[in-house]
Amino acid sequence: MNISFVKSKIGLVLAFIFLFTSCKKKEEEDIETHNPTPYSLEIPHGFPTNVNIPDDNPLTVEGIKLGRYLFYDDRMSGKADQGMGMSCSSCHQQAYAFDNPAGQGTGTTSLKTKNTVLPHINLVWNPGTYGWNGSVASIEEDVLLVIPDPTEFASTWPDVIAAISAEAMYPPMFEAAFGSKEITPERIAKAIAQFMRTMVSQDSKFDRVLRGDDNFTESERRGLVLFTTEEGADCFHCHGAPGNPLMTTHLFYNNAKDTIFDTSSDRYSVTNNPRDIGAYKATTLRNIELTGPYMHDGRFQTLDEVINFYSEGLLYSEYAHQLMHKVFPPYGNGAMLNPQEKADLKAFLLTLTDTVFINNPELSDPFQK
Amino acid sequence: MITMKIKISLFVLAALMLVSCKKKDETDTSPKTGKISISFEHFISNQPAIVNDYIYTNAAGNVYSFFLVRYFISDVELYKSDGSVVKIDKWTDHFYVDTDIPHTLEWNVFDEISIGNFDSLSFRFGFSDTKNQSFMFVNQPESNMVWPEELGGGYHYLQLEGKWIDPNGIKIGYAFHLGRGQHYDGSGNPVPPFIDNSFRVSLPNSAFSVETDKTTKLTLRMNIENWFEEPHLYDHNQWGGDIMQQQPAMLLAKENGWNVFSFNLNNN
Repeated sequence: MNISFVKSKIGLVLAFIFLFTSCKKKEEEDIETHNPTPYSLEIPHGFPTNVNIPDDNPLTVEGIKLGRYLFYDDRMSGKADQGMGMSCSSCHQQAYAFDNPAGQGTGTTSLKTKNTVLPHINLVWNPGTYGWNGSVASIEEDVLLVIPDPTEFASTWPDVIAAISAEAMYPPMFEAAFGSKEITPERIAKAIAQFMRTMVSQDSKFDRVLRGDDNFTESERRGLVLFTTEEGADCFHCHGAPGNPLMTTHLFYNNAKDTIFDTSSDRYSVTNNPRDIGAYKATTLRNIELTGPYMHDGRFQTLDEVINFYSEGLLYSEYAHQLMHKVFPPYGNGAMLNPQEKADLKAFLLTLTDTVFINNPELSDPFQK
Repeated sequence: MITMKIKISLFVLAALMLVSCKKKDETDTSPKTGKISISFEHFISNQPAIVNDYIYTNAAGNVYSFFLVRYFISDVELYKSDGSVVKIDKWTDHFYVDTDIPHTLEWNVFDEISIGNFDSLSFRFGFSDTKNQSFMFVNQPESNMVWPEELGGGYHYLQLEGKWIDPNGIKIGYAFHLGRGQHYDGSGNPVPPFIDNSFRVSLPNSAFSVETDKTTKLTLRMNIENWFEEPHLYDHNQWGGDIMQQQPAMLLAKENGWNVFSFNLNNN
């Protein structure tokens, strides 16, 4: 074999290896230069350790900061220059645990959402069934969907990108969060999702009692017993208990409030399972004092109305969830609570209000500094 | 050149020694274990349970439907033919089953099981009182099985749910839930000590063998109708939709639970 030929072959291979490794090195250096600060989510006492954070969107300080600005920026409608500015915070208001006191959301074209707005509370523990019927698999997906939704932003992503790109502060913030100044729908969705995952409510009186830092009043304690017993009001099977402090199972129930059902937005519209006709998510009861009007259609304005409904207003249908066993015609239409029991149950529900959460400066509007 | 040959020979010799030593070691010390997996299936009247339809009649004559069942089993013990007992407890000593969550219908047991023939197995339905500790599960779906502190705390052993048709033709939900029981005072307040309603399920006809480096697939079948018929007839019209605060009803469930499960070996 010609030695010089072999040598030249070896030389070529070495050259390729060198080129390959140097290219790879350059890529690695680029990745290394983008080094956002990891954000460590603190798991509150007794809360689930399993969190729903996608592998491709880890929490970072820079991502959360960007998401916070975007969450509150009414240029997110892409139509602020036409007097139709709108942001996530237009409906999801911190003072109401990121819910909308008006019930339904009203979009930029004055159309209303089909169902009431849901609060943003502890969504990092949602297993991937967002919305009243669980049809949305992630917060990122939700953000991507609301921009073109005619009842919400009624906009287009190119208009949104143009509006956000025109604001000088944003490109460097995207670079800090994602490694380049490029602004895309996916990056906007990721940043907002990161911020929303930090909306953790864990400092209500209920939490302080569980931590041993406070005590229930007698009325609150009696309310908890009613809440967690079948012979009482039996709320806990769907809405949690001290051992399930999210105060929701994240499951879906037909709670016996109708006899005729619109199946266009219920759980049945997602699963096609007849058991899910008229079923909607059992929302978290955290901050329930702040998140009215209640039910998917906002039919009840006050907590008292809700308690009265579960006490004596349940309606029989064959689709009522099996746990609504207090619908027992002709013998009863609810838990049949007396006035004292209703007051006790309400007293317990009010212990779920978290004023630290609704005043948390890290979750507040950054444009209002 | 000769030195080179000697060097190669020495190298080959050393390699051979190393390999043979390794082989010997492996033969002598490697543990003889295999794995088991346990599948869970749910039958009514010898057929897979069909959800939603009112096609079943229990021994008390109640026409009923089946919607879901959720439960814990714990403290599984495997009884070897040589008289020894293997406990499943290395990674976890319990398992949660939920017919609405497919991945909970198969338990790939972490433990390495010593090989050999096994005559039978048994397990606890629910948790023993010692193990049934409040707040031991923080993650869903297990934490959704919480049993109220007021009623003794811990977790539901069982949630079996559906509806039955009452004498008025009304479809009423049954929440056939089992957990700690309570005594009540004259005012209706629960009085400790609470009652451990968990029970052991022994399956005498559950022989199987475990082989080295193989997974033996076992199946536990819950025969749902048995909750309602032996030795006690369970009548939904008598007990109503909820039984968590009715110890006499939970006692029936506990005593009917002895033959709810059957065993199958599936090594296809």
